[in-house]
Amino acid sequence: MKIIEVNRAATAANDKDAELLRAELRDRGIFLLNLMSAAGSGKTTLLSRVISDLRDRVPLGVMEADLASDVDAVTIENLGAKSIQVHTGGCCHMDAEMTREALRAFSLEGPGIIFLENVGNLICPAEFDTGAHKKVMILSVPEGDDKPLKYPLMFQESDVLLITKTDALPYFDFNLSAASRRAEALNPAIRIFPLSAKTGEGMEAFEEWLLSEWEAFLHA
Amino acid sequence: MPEKLFDIISVRAGLEEENEKYASVVRAYCAEKGIFLVHLMASPGAGKTTLLCRILDVLGKDVEIGILEADVDSDVDAQTVTAHGARAVQLHTGGSCHMDGRMTLQGLQAFGDDPPKLVFLENVGNLVCPAEFDVGADLALMILSVPEGDDKPLKYPLMFTVAECIVINKIDTAEIFDFDLTAFAKNLRPLNPSAPVFPLSAKTGEGMEPFLSWLKGRTA
Repeated sequence: MKIIEVNRAATAANDKDAELLRAELRDRGIFLLNLMSAAGSGKTTLLSRVISDLRDRVPLGVMEADLASDVDAVTIENLGAKSIQVHTGGCCHMDAEMTREALRAFSLEGPGIIFLENVGNLICPAEFDTGAHKKVMILSVPEGDDKPLKYPLMFQESDVLLITKTDALPYFDFNLSAASRRAEALNPAIRIFPLSAKTGEGMEAFEEWLLSEWEAFLHA
Repeated sequence: MPEKLFDIISVRAGLEEENEKYASVVRAYCAEKGIFLVHLMASPGAGKTTLLCRILDVLGKDVEIGILEADVDSDVDAQTVTAHGARAVQLHTGGSCHMDGRMTLQGLQAFGDDPPKLVFLENVGNLVCPAEFDVGADLALMILSVPEGDDKPLKYPLMFTVAECIVINKIDTAEIFDFDLTAFAKNLRPLNPSAPVFPLSAKTGEGMEPFLSWLKGRTA
């Protein structure tokens, strides 16, 4: 078997802009989380659950980034959370400038928590700092426990790994400890929460983490 | 005429033009060597490699099959398909989120003077970027897996527009996910009126037969 390296020039020069945005948001008391995953792993379902559980305790907003369509933003609006739809116009990720522009259109003045639901993609979003304070990624059980081997950067970059659709574990050859071990080998500090946003199982641990990070952010 | 103050350069168009050139070279190379090139695209974990193993087990009896495995990193997939009798080349994209014409040509040339007559290019797991780059293939095949959801054509319209055949994989898990084939068709058809859709399970083998005979006819 032959292995060929077909490199392209790396392009990521928005780090400085992201640092500025992060500081501006801190001043406004807005805790921004960048939520990333492959297409169809359950980002919107997870956010729906978080909103239903926490909307009475903390102001929550969601920015839905999509190539096109507004199905997700409609779902979030229907739950009573503030939401805007960001159309990336075909672009496969959000960067700091796009995030800043989206935030400008957002009516949540702060303080509060805003989730940026990135485009469904395990590759490009990992390369672009959006100015978020924390990065949360989802790996769903049907995608397989080998994904840290194939998309290492996403696992290296994330502060939190949510292993979702655990209610489907009996149907798939997904080894939870193998997945965790592979993620931790890339990123020893990563926090891992297995859960099912559909049944609610395991949601509490993640929501406790979110609330404690929010408290820490407010009082930093 | 006012004096021209500055040049406007569309870098994007330049990139695509450059790629088009390579895609034509790939087409010419395939014609010269008698290669039928299938471009396989899907999200991470949708089952590209598992489907290829099924194809290898059946069509591989009659014809030598080559597989170009594109990955950001790792060579787990190339090892798997080699075990199923494929002549495999592992392509490391070095972080890049898609294959382009130039990389594809490099991969095909790695087969040497006597390449396999049927070659599958397994692209990086991504529903966005691979759809934008013509790799010079004879057939664009995509997989959507049941756990990803029936709304995906709304969110990743370009992928569903360029696909010439769509496999709905993991139908053995239909009972635990809310995937509605009729709703899927309703979302798909405005974008793509003609691509055949094959619901199947590459894991259990259910539904493989109609797909394999279609593919055999198309690639013969």
